Amino acid sequence: MILPGHPYHLQDERLFECYLTERSGELIDPPAAEHLTDCASCSERYADLVRFMESVRTDGESEANAVFTPERLRAQHQQIVRRLEQVGRPARVISFPGRLVRRTITASAGRTAPRWIAAAAAAGLFIGVALGASYEWNPLLHSSRPSVARSADASRPAYLAPVATRGSNQAAVAEDDAFLSDLEVALERPHTRELLAFDAFTPHVREIYDRR
Amino acid sequence: MDDARERFSELVALHQRRASRIAYQYLRDAAEADEAVQDAFVKVFSHITSYRETWPFEVWFTRILINGCLDRRKARARRDRWFVSNDVSSADEARVSSVGGGVGDPERALLSRERRAKLAAAIDRLDGRQRTVFTLCHYGDCTPREISAMTGLNESTVRVHLFRAARKLRGLLRGKP
Repeated sequence: MILPGHPYHLQDERLFECYLTERSGELIDPPAAEHLTDCASCSERYADLVRFMESVRTDGESEANAVFTPERLRAQHQQIVRRLEQVGRPARVISFPGRLVRRTITASAGRTAPRWIAAAAAAGLFIGVALGASYEWNPLLHSSRPSVARSADASRPAYLAPVATRGSNQAAVAEDDAFLSDLEVALERPHTRELLAFDAFTPHVREIYDRR
Repeated sequence: MDDARERFSELVALHQRRASRIAYQYLRDAAEADEAVQDAFVKVFSHITSYRETWPFEVWFTRILINGCLDRRKARARRDRWFVSNDVSSADEARVSSVGGGVGDPERALLSRERRAKLAAAIDRLDGRQRTVFTLCHYGDCTPREISAMTGLNESTVRVHLFRAARKLRGLLRGKP
């Protein structure tokens, strides 16, 4: 390739080929090698290319080496060996706990139990529905229901009725309020002894509200 | 079988560093690269009977490793589309950041870390084939001929991809798009 201002120069592709050839330990083809010796510009370009490629290579390698330390590689090797031990071996059957195994073995015997349970539940439901229906349709029982209800009202225990408390007394209510107020003030007050004096001089929000 | 395992274990020790380097360059995550390497070795051992000695073992192995890494990249891209993307773990980052600068030279360490981050981002911007051939050549120490065998690409095509990858990287790292 002829570049402007220069009689003859190697193309970038050719320089790269030279780099690859040299890297693989082979000799660069004689014309190119000769040119690189003679032409300072191409020689500089080639040196720049080699520098760049080598920096890329060493950066990548050092990064990978930092991550894959000898310890990590050793652990990786051990893990691979462990995995290789499993290759070609028949699949391991994990034994279930004894109780479960027994249950599985006697599954045919156990299968009868749910049938009995289902039958008993169905029978119970049927009897319940039948009794309920007969109760609803029995006119004697139907007519006697209000009296039963009445008797139930009459026999209601006394503890359900409202009990007279101290709340009805106005003085007692005021006393309770004062107690609760004191409690709130005590909770709002600082717990540090040194601050109690300051607290005594400063007005409280509660007091301001009371004045209003 | 145990003898085969023992011999294979020696083979693992021989190739695992290089394999980890390649996988890491592909995946940029140490844990995932670790898994990819393990999977590749186990896969190779399971299918050792299908190995043909036309090519060296490492060519065959690397091909399996790369396919595994590419699958993982695809799966990750799929995950990232739906979920929050995974960042490099802080432990990896700490380990990586300690490279290139001494304990007493934080400025150098920072510059080195920035340079590596730029390089990783630039490699990630390469076209899929370019990235593969570049990684294999520069981090896997493979010749264009070996890369051709691994990837199934023509050797001259590999060389073209290598050149284009290098040119693009130079442009990206030196601020030219």
